[in-house]
Amino acid sequence: MKVNIPDELREILEEFLVEAEEILENLDQDLVDLENNPQDKELLNKIFRGMHTLKGGAGFLNLTPIVEIAHRIEDVFNKLRNDEMELTPELMDVILEGIDQLKSALQMLKEREELPDIEEIQTLLSKLDAALKGEEPSQEREKREEEIQEGEIEFVEGISEELKKLILRFPDKDLAGILEEIILMPPDERPMEVIPEIEKLIEEGKDVKDLIKPKEKKEEPQLPPPPPPAEKKEEFPPRSTKKQEKKQSEKKSSETIRIDVERVENLMNLVGEIVLDRNRILRVTADVDRECRSEAVEKLIEAVTSLDRTVSDLQVAVMKLRMQPIKKIFSKFPRVVRDLARKLGKKVQLIIEGEDTELDRSILDKLEDPLIHLVRNAVDHGIEPPEERVQKGKPETGTIRLFAFHEGDHIVVGIEDDGRGIDPEKVKKKALEKGLITPEQAAQMSDKEAYELLFLPGFSTAEKVSDVSGRGVGMDVVASTIHSLRGSIEIDSELGKGTTILLKLPLTVAIIRTLMIGIRGQVYAVPLHSVVEVVRYDESLVKEVGSFKSFMLRDEVLPLFSLNELLEVEDEDEKHFIVIVKVGERLIAVSIEALYGEEEIVIKSLGELLSDIPGIAGATIAGDGRVVLILDLNSLLSDYKVKLIGVRR
Amino acid sequence: MNQPEKKEINVIGVEELIGEVHEKEIQVIAFKLKEELVSVPIEQVVEITNNRDITPVPKAPSFVIGVMNLRGKIVPVINLKEHLGIVDEIPEDIYSRNKIVIVETPKGEVGVVVDEIVGSIKFLEGDILPEPIGTIGIDVKYISGVVQLDRELLIILNIESIFNRED
Repeated sequence: MKVNIPDELREILEEFLVEAEEILENLDQDLVDLENNPQDKELLNKIFRGMHTLKGGAGFLNLTPIVEIAHRIEDVFNKLRNDEMELTPELMDVILEGIDQLKSALQMLKEREELPDIEEIQTLLSKLDAALKGEEPSQEREKREEEIQEGEIEFVEGISEELKKLILRFPDKDLAGILEEIILMPPDERPMEVIPEIEKLIEEGKDVKDLIKPKEKKEEPQLPPPPPPAEKKEEFPPRSTKKQEKKQSEKKSSETIRIDVERVENLMNLVGEIVLDRNRILRVTADVDRECRSEAVEKLIEAVTSLDRTVSDLQVAVMKLRMQPIKKIFSKFPRVVRDLARKLGKKVQLIIEGEDTELDRSILDKLEDPLIHLVRNAVDHGIEPPEERVQKGKPETGTIRLFAFHEGDHIVVGIEDDGRGIDPEKVKKKALEKGLITPEQAAQMSDKEAYELLFLPGFSTAEKVSDVSGRGVGMDVVASTIHSLRGSIEIDSELGKGTTILLKLPLTVAIIRTLMIGIRGQVYAVPLHSVVEVVRYDESLVKEVGSFKSFMLRDEVLPLFSLNELLEVEDEDEKHFIVIVKVGERLIAVSIEALYGEEEIVIKSLGELLSDIPGIAGATIAGDGRVVLILDLNSLLSDYKVKLIGVRR
Repeated sequence: MNQPEKKEINVIGVEELIGEVHEKEIQVIAFKLKEELVSVPIEQVVEITNNRDITPVPKAPSFVIGVMNLRGKIVPVINLKEHLGIVDEIPEDIYSRNKIVIVETPKGEVGVVVDEIVGSIKFLEGDILPEPIGTIGIDVKYISGVVQLDRELLIILNIESIFNRED
């Protein structure tokens, strides 16, 4: 349905779109949070207000489908916040469906000033209505299925019974969607034999609509017809088909350009050269200035100063080209986990940590699929059903932790679950059966080595996955993707306790903000995220407590170390500054001799020979060409804490 | 360019070729480590550089002098003498005085500080003798052989074993 916005309302439409985007942006996360904490009145109110605003704005612009959906969701939340209704997972499914529909409607509106027809969203609206009346939405769904089975749909020839059942079971999915559903099913329910059939149909370019001959729809829209069409309506072509939609959205995305990572790399190297040249020019200019002063020299200095600034900006800009926070993919997981857990009848809580960790774009892109795979595995095969968990004395709700952090010149992305863990013996047995290893090998194999078997191509087939805790599906693909990024993958598991999978990814380029500090004439870079604040060194605030020193920061007494002792270098020079660092939950003061300011740097590896030095996270090349080490104060301090405890004993 | 080579082959008789066929010529870069004349096969030498700024690395093993910037790449620089167990005083100006030979090792490129570059030496494979035991201050496991030159003994280092040590 084409929407006609008179010119005088265009500005309002723009504003509405911006506002709507803001409202919907964080809604997924809010809703998942709400599900975990259904009594949170603040969240309920927030979502209610958001929907109310959306409804109002859309109403003013006559955007009926949006009004209809937002109105119903608003009503639902009104009841929820007044305790007239309870937030069940079934209700949440309907709400999420509504939000998804709102999002796609707004997207259509933004991209090509169209909205879905009321008929298209009718199913959703009825579900929401039913939910409002307090009916169980699942019943509604069943009813609908029944109706369908009663003969609303007739299939074309040559479709297997199994597939017909599936199409009826998932009435609003296309074939790819059904395939996905099959993959998500518990292993013993998966109708394996249908998969090739569906794949063949997809290859032939067919979809559900090609397989069925729906009869005339009896249903009349319950809602008043959309507002009278605008005068110009006839001039526009009828609703575009799917293909056209695709094309248009492709056109839209050309606002951003895709660049070969190699080109950016090349650009970065060139900028690096410019930086070094600039530094040389700066030095020479300073020399010239000292030797002869003239108007020309002054002009030169002016030009060089300007060049200096521009080059710095250029450097930062080029570096940033490649970096993106991992949030970009992490943000998809609350929904993935929630939907999957619902489908499998499990209770899962997802904790996300380190989503601001920046990662090279090229790595980020390739990381998404393996991660989704691993997280799905964790929900599907790792976390046990609630009853089983209770039996084992575990909390009913399973926990999956998804985290990312910098570790030296690597980024570690991990998935940790507290599910059943992997039985190395079962893995070995299976590998033996498949002829992947010899009995002698199996006997000598450590647990870790046994887990490695999961990555072997041909280790797992979809059928008996659950026998080996089911971590097999496509793990070889995950592993090969990670390896192609020159990363490594590590499995750690304890039977009955859970599994942790760590992906260690290299950072060909990783930019971090650092504080440049110095002792004994050497400059070190400290990642800014670990620094809480920097204060001047003041002898009167330093207290000796036994063999330890402490530093008074306002009202707090913090343990004090000098960077010299942490790095095990001579400690004689006067201290000038104190860096306050957060280690775990504690603040610790570290005294330093010099402070050079903040700088954004590129992490480089120290090479294999020096890869294991504690406290040194990597290195970078400074403007003057010298190597500056990047300190990991956290590990430096934890290292030291262990030592202190040893001394105490 | 190919012309002279062809000619040479024609000149050298077949009989002579059979005799020479096992005698592969080996080229090494030789340098001094204290008193010892040691060498590394030229294929393993990336470059020889004048010492540049070296950043010391705290908490690194003592044979590590620091790291340097080799055209945008960070390369560790080591005191090979200490690594090999040659006892010598470390000069105060070790950071700036000596030449550095960058070698390709199983652990990546590594800079090796040497006392003096002697130069490139060629010899035939057959001249290599098994390593003598106890006559030199370097553990035999780090040596792939020695060559008797006019006055001196040339030690050929085994880079693979030196940098594969599991410490």
